[in-house]
Amino acid sequence: MSLLELNNISKIYGDLKALDNVSLSVDTGEWVAIMGPSGSGKSTMMNIIGCMDKPTSGAVLLDGKDISKESAKSLTAIRRDKIGLIFQQFHLVNYLTAVENVMVAQYYHSMPDEKEALEALERVGLADRAKHLPSQLSGGEQQRVCIARALINYPEIVLADEPTGNLDEANENIVLDIFKQLHKDGTTLVVVTHDPEVGEVAQRTITLEHGRIVKDALNANFKEA
Amino acid sequence: MFFRMIRGAFTRQWKKMLMIALTIALGASLATAMLGVMMDVGDKVNQELKTYGANITVVPKASSVIGNLYEVEGGESGETAYLREDELGKIKTIFWAFNIVDFSPFIDTEVTLPDGAGVKLVGTWFNHHLALPTGEELDTGVKNLRTWWSIEDGRWIDEGLDVYEPNCVMVGSVLAEREGLRVGDWLHVSAPYGENDLIVCGIFDSGDDADEQLYAPMDVVQALSDTDGYLTSIEVSALTTPDNELAERAAKDPSSLSIADYELWYCTAYVSSICYQLQEVITDSVASPVRQVADSEGAILEKTELLMVLITILSLIGSALGITNLVTASVMERSNELGLLKAIGAKDGAISALVLTEVILTGIVGAAIGYFAGLGFAQIIGHTVFGSSIAMKPLVLPVVAVLVLVVTLAGSVPAIRMLLKLRPAEVLHGR
Repeated sequence: MSLLELNNISKIYGDLKALDNVSLSVDTGEWVAIMGPSGSGKSTMMNIIGCMDKPTSGAVLLDGKDISKESAKSLTAIRRDKIGLIFQQFHLVNYLTAVENVMVAQYYHSMPDEKEALEALERVGLADRAKHLPSQLSGGEQQRVCIARALINYPEIVLADEPTGNLDEANENIVLDIFKQLHKDGTTLVVVTHDPEVGEVAQRTITLEHGRIVKDALNANFKEA
Repeated sequence: MFFRMIRGAFTRQWKKMLMIALTIALGASLATAMLGVMMDVGDKVNQELKTYGANITVVPKASSVIGNLYEVEGGESGETAYLREDELGKIKTIFWAFNIVDFSPFIDTEVTLPDGAGVKLVGTWFNHHLALPTGEELDTGVKNLRTWWSIEDGRWIDEGLDVYEPNCVMVGSVLAEREGLRVGDWLHVSAPYGENDLIVCGIFDSGDDADEQLYAPMDVVQALSDTDGYLTSIEVSALTTPDNELAERAAKDPSSLSIADYELWYCTAYVSSICYQLQEVITDSVASPVRQVADSEGAILEKTELLMVLITILSLIGSALGITNLVTASVMERSNELGLLKAIGAKDGAISALVLTEVILTGIVGAAIGYFAGLGFAQIIGHTVFGSSIAMKPLVLPVVAVLVLVVTLAGSVPAIRMLLKLRPAEVLHGR
């Protein structure tokens, strides 16, 4: 069953067509990697799927509901309730500790629960770093805090924008292992990356070039965790 | 969580918050000082202007009519009407009694000196101790009313001294020079109803007609003019409120006022209402303002207050601009953080509340610092300009609190507008 559908999506910035009549469908529990070179429209697609931007034309169906015409206020509510965001730059609040950064997402969603936030950090292997500030954490640790924050409200879909872009190989593997576990648990994952190794571990790879999908294929080498 | 975020923002961004607090403190201190001085300046300016003499004169009704008819001052028209000395205490029983700072009665007569020269001898109180019908006691007289007189030689006549000499006289500097009089000299004066030997206790320089006159205690002059218990005029120094349209209408004809206007006028310390009340207690008298002094008081007071208001407004505008810059810079600097909060589902209102709470808490700290600094500034201004302390009115605190709140919120408006326009995709992905 399709959790997410993009129907003939275009996004135009002035003379630039960042996305050109793109259509795709992502099923519940699917792990999709969106790949492509810089300027291919990956981040634009991520912003539209993540309800942080609207398409110039076309429809975006999330859970069967067209969200492309929703107001900014409704999109905020959809982000809060249905989407977990993981960023290349982590984007942690620098004056809050790791556990507080996770609790921030709870606070704006419903009610902060420190015990639950600590459990989320434990799942990403950071229970012992919960009281540390972002500046006291390594890049890989910060990314894991970011993942814990994205997962804390049990989103229907997790969007990751270049999640390993700023990590060394060891931390990249840790993050990918977390993704594998999430996929196994049934989480829908959409990962934007230009790293072939990250793309290869996904269940399905979609390749963008000049705002168009040039390849959409299942990975033959995909292995369930 | 909200307060954890606020606490985190304060502890990790204390330099920015300190700058905002100091900006607010600067505005609050100036506002406190100016408002404090402004609310007290009326009394201060009035007291300052009291050094320029009386602002009300009371004369007998008959002499006032003659004076008005012939456009001459009462007392120079040859009239024989008098006021009663035993009614002087009533001056301190009128509705605005506490605004009567000083007053002094006058009686004068022409005397002839041994060389045949005619001189005006003025009888008055110098520092007369008065027991009022109300039980209150006060010292009043020309020593307080004519503070600009400089004693060139000798001393003021002191009515309170045990060694008081009943025949003491003060001589104007011009007259003293012309007659070759010095302190300690005896002066024989002849008047229509008697003659007396007076001893020169002091020689003064007033810069006006008094320099050619003699000043002696009331009873000395009353004895020489056979006017025991009477006087020709009273000079009154009163703290007044600047005239407005109501006061001007009332001054022309109080009976033309409606009851409400009359009560408002009567219960306000306009110079005209104080004059009216003086006429009520002094039999057959006419009290009129010395317009130059009264008008100067009003004009200076209004200008001083206007200046203070302008300084307050400008300082608050300056603070608002400073807050605008600092809060906007802070929001710009934190655009990633605020964009992230929006991305994870924070509503615009929630983020605005977060930023405004930070700014308002900073504002409270800044306002507290500014208020207490302002109290100090007000005292510095008071001592530097008026030579006395400023009595801070309780109203200053709430007014400053409201002003700081308004200025802080107004200064934060551009930053909040910017925050509302912030799009997560732009700050997080550079789109």
